[in-house]
Amino acid sequence: MRALGVALLCAAAALGIEPQKTVSVTLDNGMKLIVQEDHDIPNVAMYLFYKVGSRNERPGITGISHFFEHMMFNGAKKYGPKQFDIQMEKAGGRNNAYTSRDLTVYTNWFPNTALELMFDMEADRIRDLSFDPKMIESERGVVASERQTRTDNSNFGLLYEQLNATAYVAHPYNWPVVGWASDIKAWSMEDLKAHFKMGYAPNNCVVVIVGDVKTDEVLQAAKKFFEPIPRQEPPPAVRTVEPPQRGERRVTIVKQAQLPIQMVGYHVPDSNHADFVPLEVLGTLLTNGRSSRLYRRMVDTDQLAVSVSQFMGPSLDPGLWTFVVNPRAGVDTAASEKALFEEIEKVRAAEVPASELQKAKNLMLTGLYGDLKTIAGRANSLGLNEIYRGSYEKLYTSDAEINAVTAADVLRVAKQYLTPNNRTVATLIPEKRP
Amino acid sequence: MKRLFALALMAAAAWPDVRLPKYTRQTLPNGIVLDVMPRQDVPLVSVRVLVRGGAESDPAGLAGLSSIAAQALRRGTTTRSAEQFSEELDSLGASFSAGTDMQATFVTSEFLAKDFDKGLALLVDAVTAPTFPEAEIKKLLAQSIDSAKAMKDNPSAAASVYFRSFFFGPGHPYGQVSDEISLGKITRQAVAEYHKRQYVGRNMIVIVAGDVEPAKAAAAVTKTLGGVPEGKAYSWKTATMPASAKTRIAIVDKPDATQTEIRVGMPGIERTHPDRVALWLVNTLFGGRFTSILNDELRVNSGLTYGASSGFERNHLPGRITISTFTATETTSKALDMAMDLLKRLAEKGITAEQLASAKTYIKGTYPSEQLETADQLADVIGEIELFDLNRGEVDDLFSRIDAVTVEKANAVAREHYGRPHVTILLLGNAAKFAESVKKYDPSPVTVPIAKPGLRVGE
Repeated sequence: MRALGVALLCAAAALGIEPQKTVSVTLDNGMKLIVQEDHDIPNVAMYLFYKVGSRNERPGITGISHFFEHMMFNGAKKYGPKQFDIQMEKAGGRNNAYTSRDLTVYTNWFPNTALELMFDMEADRIRDLSFDPKMIESERGVVASERQTRTDNSNFGLLYEQLNATAYVAHPYNWPVVGWASDIKAWSMEDLKAHFKMGYAPNNCVVVIVGDVKTDEVLQAAKKFFEPIPRQEPPPAVRTVEPPQRGERRVTIVKQAQLPIQMVGYHVPDSNHADFVPLEVLGTLLTNGRSSRLYRRMVDTDQLAVSVSQFMGPSLDPGLWTFVVNPRAGVDTAASEKALFEEIEKVRAAEVPASELQKAKNLMLTGLYGDLKTIAGRANSLGLNEIYRGSYEKLYTSDAEINAVTAADVLRVAKQYLTPNNRTVATLIPEKRP
Repeated sequence: MKRLFALALMAAAAWPDVRLPKYTRQTLPNGIVLDVMPRQDVPLVSVRVLVRGGAESDPAGLAGLSSIAAQALRRGTTTRSAEQFSEELDSLGASFSAGTDMQATFVTSEFLAKDFDKGLALLVDAVTAPTFPEAEIKKLLAQSIDSAKAMKDNPSAAASVYFRSFFFGPGHPYGQVSDEISLGKITRQAVAEYHKRQYVGRNMIVIVAGDVEPAKAAAAVTKTLGGVPEGKAYSWKTATMPASAKTRIAIVDKPDATQTEIRVGMPGIERTHPDRVALWLVNTLFGGRFTSILNDELRVNSGLTYGASSGFERNHLPGRITISTFTATETTSKALDMAMDLLKRLAEKGITAEQLASAKTYIKGTYPSEQLETADQLADVIGEIELFDLNRGEVDDLFSRIDAVTVEKANAVAREHYGRPHVTILLLGNAAKFAESVKKYDPSPVTVPIAKPGLRVGE
């Protein structure tokens, strides 16, 4: 094992919490490990972040990254079909996994007695995943059911898919993570093998372990189980850059529904960009808490909406800042849209008052602590900071970054990104019954 | 995501017992029970006020009243308007939530430890001095009615509400569902009266958990809530589980659905039932984890669904054991048949010693991170202990109670609770495409068009 960087983290004090020893090591095969001890409960969170997601796909094989999130539980060489879950649950652990446009993340929670088993099973499936045609067909059905539930039978899911398909004309963020229904039916064995080989390289993976472990034992286990797995070519760079949007785009869905939904997406930079934190502050003061501008105007005073929210998930490539409005029954969607745009124009016209800025910062700070309450939350946050912001250590300086944002920063990013020409408006309209 | 529900063969002796951390408990002169548990993980404090009653205390025909009262607490007090309250709360970066379950109202706020006095003052203001301004109540009711209607756009959530109404029926406290019809009847006066009657010292439990100095926190709560009137203690509702002489089906018809939500229910147990640990083990194996019998057959082996699970309610009165799944419209009866067969097989064949050992390790392994890790989780546990008159043995003796469950005991529980001669089934989907295929279970199912106002079956 070649320890490229072993950092004793003391920056934690900046967040006002007890400094926790965090060790980071890169194995000879390029796999990165981040280990943080916490002996509060006798449990461990082990998160594996593979840097492969729907952005690494192409038309015809969309959704294939997400499919592997499922196939990784369907058997490898040493631990056959179902054994990953059976052995894990029998040892007192449970797991889940998620796929985003950028990543496929495997999340394991287990008692400390199962540490070696988990290393053995994870190594087995990275190295020797099985491709049993029968299993693939059965899992295809599960994924088709997942798409039906989350997208085809979900007004939100359906509209969000159309929003992205309209806002992105060139970049892979155009298609849904779960994949188009026709592609789900069509992935071939060759597609699957090629995609697995590309994404599941040890040098394309960050492993974060937080909990009741001894760092030395974790590093020994990593050396024994993970280090022998050979390095491979990681996914090729995503070359396509989304061209600038030069005018508002609109898309509409008409279907049976009780209430309409509106989404407005603005192109914004990737999450390692200097404007990202000011944008987060702006988003917070617009929608978080009932004294936020959009809640107060749209839900409370004008009573146009049941709810209003926004999100700007982390993204490796320039993302889409999305506002979601659920208009009240009987409200003309043009009226709720008008109120939304009027409030957005206000933050583009003048600096927000100091007290309002501080309020948003406080809300973000307590949210940050919320993420750190559990070993699972810390494992996730450490991994996301490592991947999206270049270093897990950034987690512990997040508060300083938030505090540094000025009213002038907020005004500048509002002016730059919240422009009419940069927006895509997606509306779901309830179908009139005959 | 791999699964929708994010819900323990080794020597059992190898597992150290878990223990509920120390906390102080006292009763104030006005009857308020106060529990304080210091935890120093992050510089946050969580304070919750529990009020006995909850949804079961909603008057007949006014389902949702307790919930509306809870949500209205922050919308104007004797010293703050709704806007001022939100402004002060958000300025602290604090969170605030208020809602109900079957037996209690929960009002919870979390804030930075340094803001303890300010955060507590806001929470106390909401709980003790709401004025329920007419305009705010009107607004809240209108929003709630819209949300109840919008639930029909979320088939899984809607199916669960319709199912509760169908299973218990309107005569049972758990069979009353809050929907646009019941919400439409709620008035400001009913809200104010509910608050006056229910939010009294003898019904209240206050739990402080987090980064606090216990004596200081106890003194602050005593000072701010000591003046709450003692009032009359709530008497819990009594009711008998509806008995059914046949298997019943209700179909909620949603003509545009491409998949069907499936619920199969049978009588279960109350929170304090002596079989609760044994039932937890059996249910873990049947439908409480990924490798459970239900999920293995319906998802893993057949690909009929993204997920199949079973759960049991832990309320004051006996609740349901419910199988939940969904499948494409075309495979509705296939998935239902499979669930029914698995239920029969569990009751008849039971579970093996090896399965039981696996379930025991699973619960022991997952319990600490689900219940004992954060101040909020611990406050939840303490709240349950108080509400159901349990004691810390609920946690401290859990592992020994798990160890004590034998295969014979587990199978007796499986036979008794999963081997009912009749079940209650709800299907929400495109009825025209599957109604005929399920008539073998009930030749005359009740059908409700989803467009019909409300979330009830058979009323």
